[in-house]
Amino acid sequence: MTGKPPRDEVLGLADLHVTVHEGAATAVRGVSLSVAAGEIVGLVGESGSGKTLTCRAALGVLPPGCAVGQGTISFERQDVTDLSRRGWERLHGTGMGAVFQDPASYLNPNLTVGSQLAEVLRVKQRLPRREARRRGIDLLAAVGLHRPDWVFHQIPGELSGGMLQRVMIAIAISCEPRLLIADEATTALDVTIQAEIIELLRDLRDQRGLAVLFVSHDLAVIRELCDRVIVFYAGEIVESGPVGEIIERPRHPYTQALLRVASVGDFRRRELQVIPGQPPQVGAGITGCRFAGRCPAAIEACRSGPVSLVPLSHVHQARCVRATDPELTAVPVTTAAATAEAEAAELAAR
Amino acid sequence: MAVAELTTAGGALAAPRRRRTRAAASRIAGGLAVLITILLLSSFITYSLGALSNSNPAATILGQDAATPAAVAHLDHVLGLDKPLPVQYGNWLSQAVRGNLGVSYFTQIPVSQSIAQRLPVDLSIAIGAIILAVLIGGTAGTVAAVRRGGWTDRGVTLACSAVSTLPAFVVGIILVVAFAVTAHALPANGYTGPSAGIGPWLAHILLPSLALALPVAADVARQLRTSLVSVLEQNYITGARVRGLPYRRILIRHALRNAAGPALTILGNDFPLMLAGAVAAEAVFSLPGLGQLLLESAQTRDIPVVQGVLLVVSTFVIVINLLVNTALGLLYRSADGVGV
Amino acid sequence: MTRTTRRAPGSSVLRLPSARIAVAILAVIVSLAIFGSTLAPQSPLAIDAGALYKGPSLHHLLGTDYLGRDVLSRLMAGTRLSVLTAFEAVAIGLVIGAPLGVATVFLGRWFDFSANRVADALMTLPSIFFAVAVTAALGNGLVQAMLPVGILLAPVFFRVSRAATLEFSRAQYVEAAELLGGSKLHVIRVHVLRKVLPTIAVTTATAAAGALLAVSFLTFLGIGVQPPTPTWGGVLSSDLDYLNLAPWAPFIPGALIAITVGALNALADAYRDRAGAGELHSPVADPVIKTHSTLQPLEAADDRQTAA
Repeated sequence: MTGKPPRDEVLGLADLHVTVHEGAATAVRGVSLSVAAGEIVGLVGESGSGKTLTCRAALGVLPPGCAVGQGTISFERQDVTDLSRRGWERLHGTGMGAVFQDPASYLNPNLTVGSQLAEVLRVKQRLPRREARRRGIDLLAAVGLHRPDWVFHQIPGELSGGMLQRVMIAIAISCEPRLLIADEATTALDVTIQAEIIELLRDLRDQRGLAVLFVSHDLAVIRELCDRVIVFYAGEIVESGPVGEIIERPRHPYTQALLRVASVGDFRRRELQVIPGQPPQVGAGITGCRFAGRCPAAIEACRSGPVSLVPLSHVHQARCVRATDPELTAVPVTTAAATAEAEAAELAAR
Repeated sequence: MAVAELTTAGGALAAPRRRRTRAAASRIAGGLAVLITILLLSSFITYSLGALSNSNPAATILGQDAATPAAVAHLDHVLGLDKPLPVQYGNWLSQAVRGNLGVSYFTQIPVSQSIAQRLPVDLSIAIGAIILAVLIGGTAGTVAAVRRGGWTDRGVTLACSAVSTLPAFVVGIILVVAFAVTAHALPANGYTGPSAGIGPWLAHILLPSLALALPVAADVARQLRTSLVSVLEQNYITGARVRGLPYRRILIRHALRNAAGPALTILGNDFPLMLAGAVAAEAVFSLPGLGQLLLESAQTRDIPVVQGVLLVVSTFVIVINLLVNTALGLLYRSADGVGV
Repeated sequence: MTRTTRRAPGSSVLRLPSARIAVAILAVIVSLAIFGSTLAPQSPLAIDAGALYKGPSLHHLLGTDYLGRDVLSRLMAGTRLSVLTAFEAVAIGLVIGAPLGVATVFLGRWFDFSANRVADALMTLPSIFFAVAVTAALGNGLVQAMLPVGILLAPVFFRVSRAATLEFSRAQYVEAAELLGGSKLHVIRVHVLRKVLPTIAVTTATAAAGALLAVSFLTFLGIGVQPPTPTWGGVLSSDLDYLNLAPWAPFIPGALIAITVGALNALADAYRDRAGAGELHSPVADPVIKTHSTLQPLEAADDRQTAA
């Protein structure tokens, strides 16, 4: 979306490109999104779709070998694309926080979780030791941990995944950031705990006006939690809009297929459903739509040139040549068995 | 007892910590038991060396003319040399733990006194060497890891390979040539105690300590680099960054803390080599230390002194090992170290 | 690391340039040990009062020492003693340590436990002290002095061959061989030894390096030989007394020692890399830190194997 960012925008990405392998390939291209205060925005897509790299870029913690190639990142309407290390140190914690999948690996296994929580408070907010400990225990209680004083003194190895994720959230919000980035935060947890974490995030948004960028490959969770959803495929945004609208009226074949596979919305699962084929390799030179190879609704125009986002309303857009085509519904999705049959037939034919 | 602790309110908080400290304590106690076994074994071997000798100390003491069989037998009895070996060992050991290591066959000076006189020299250079090894090795290893792949890293790795193959006496000689003879910056030999002035004392122990420290520092640096590179790739380092902690703090409090273990172990393993190097340093720098005492008493076959020095050296080694074990126990509370 | 060809591991090692240089150096040293005195250009004992501490020249390729003797000749002559006594120590260590290490795997828990404790004790102690102490007991000779060096090398061989045997005795094909009717001794001889020997070869090289250093150290301290017998360490030691006159002098014997030791270590490394043998460092060297036991690092490796 072009134009000036809204006044309460917390995170803005404009035409972001991320290169990998020391610039050899572009894994994320032309991503633009905006998160406003108090919004919960979901990023959905399969692994390798670029959603994690986008988050890492937004956080300033890209892995070695990756870099922002083009585009800008802005936090509270300030350009942070070329922020120095010191600048990021100041921004992290107080401006934006993050939680990741597998919380145990993101904590030092040799220190108690409490000391790591208190460390943040002592360093970032200059609280004295006792005060930091007290506030830490309060924070642990605020994220829904029973017996927070016991948890405070445990090392990560002694806590369960759900408890650890709550601890991570506590640490992430400890310095009152305006944005929380959650990268697959509920993926490794079991369903009941998942629901509790989702509720926790919603409460945090309601009580503190926290904006959340929630990355997941699980559409059901996204539907529960998010206000808006952005669909990634092969390093690009292929559709974005309010979550209800996307679920009821998806206008990109990939989104439709995703919904079918997740049996969310109108689609009911009968057998194990898959989307046949594979996403393109990172850096593969493809003219035209990057989904065309797997798209059952592809036409000539899809492969002729780059496809840009088609605005369907002022909040909904889709990167599809046929986005406005009313026949673009109920795109067939095959079953796993059928795909296997088709592949076997293809092999036999060779 | 553990169950009862868990059910009380205050106990609920303290139990896991107590459990962890108890685990650490039993680990240290286990290590201590093994080390005591080692001490006993090595002191027995030490002691047997004296008995192995078919030299006749009594005859040597009495001198050729006075060494009549009767006189020898009498002196043997006085010195306790006519009892069976295990009994002799037992007597010696029970005296040793009380600080009585016997007297020199020749000078009649108590062994413990001779040792006490020379100990400060070796302590100075040994402790100096440990400090230098940690500082130099730690810094080199950290810098190499942080700038991995770059010129600094390659330079440090190359230097480490070169230095760690050099024995301490060669390093010592190089240092003497470089700093004492050519540059006249530091004294080439001699020792003055700290009571005679801190400045001269430091000047005299700097080169010897450095000679001991450098090969060990090379080993430590190499190990630290490897561990640190691995640790820096871990998720919890990213986690710490994302919390906004300053880089230096992350490096020291999280990365180094977890990566230091194996390097510390290397330091502990190399310590006996440092002690051997001390003997070399005493020779190169003409320091009046235990190594020289050992050489002199070996020449004159003054067995009690030899045994005493060996016992002290073994104890040294064991104490350092104990310290290293304790430090590791404190650093690492999770069961699998870094939890990779 | 599997090998598809049945070539002996030695030949592939020699492909590495570092290994070739190392072997060449060691060949020179060994031939000096055998023929040193005869090959020397001058008598190592010939004193020339007019040419004290002269630098390298055509007549004296490595210069002269404090008595005007030719340094090159002295070093060449001294090679024999250093090499022979180092060999003695390595042989003692190997003969005591390696068979015990292999056997201990098959001799029951108690034996293994006690053998390990003894090995621990011996390994914590620096050999130099015992070498000197032995001369007090048995007389001032290099042969006697190298005896404790050899004994203290035995635990290294013990540890290494024990770990290698443990690793390979658990392999499936050993069980299969036993099932097919081979006696335990036969199995050990044919299968286990074939895998364990490369590891022991690597250890021999590094032990030789250590023993050589020990000899140089002892002769440097004046133990074991009477002047004017030339030794590497002895030449080094006398150079030390005259540093003011000739600061360059100690680097010559020093370099000789360092090069020989370096060649041995390089050979060991090359063999280890190529044949995949000898990778039995304590887990301390393992970059993925899994343990923090210190005194018995290989113990931890064993525990992992028994648990596996």
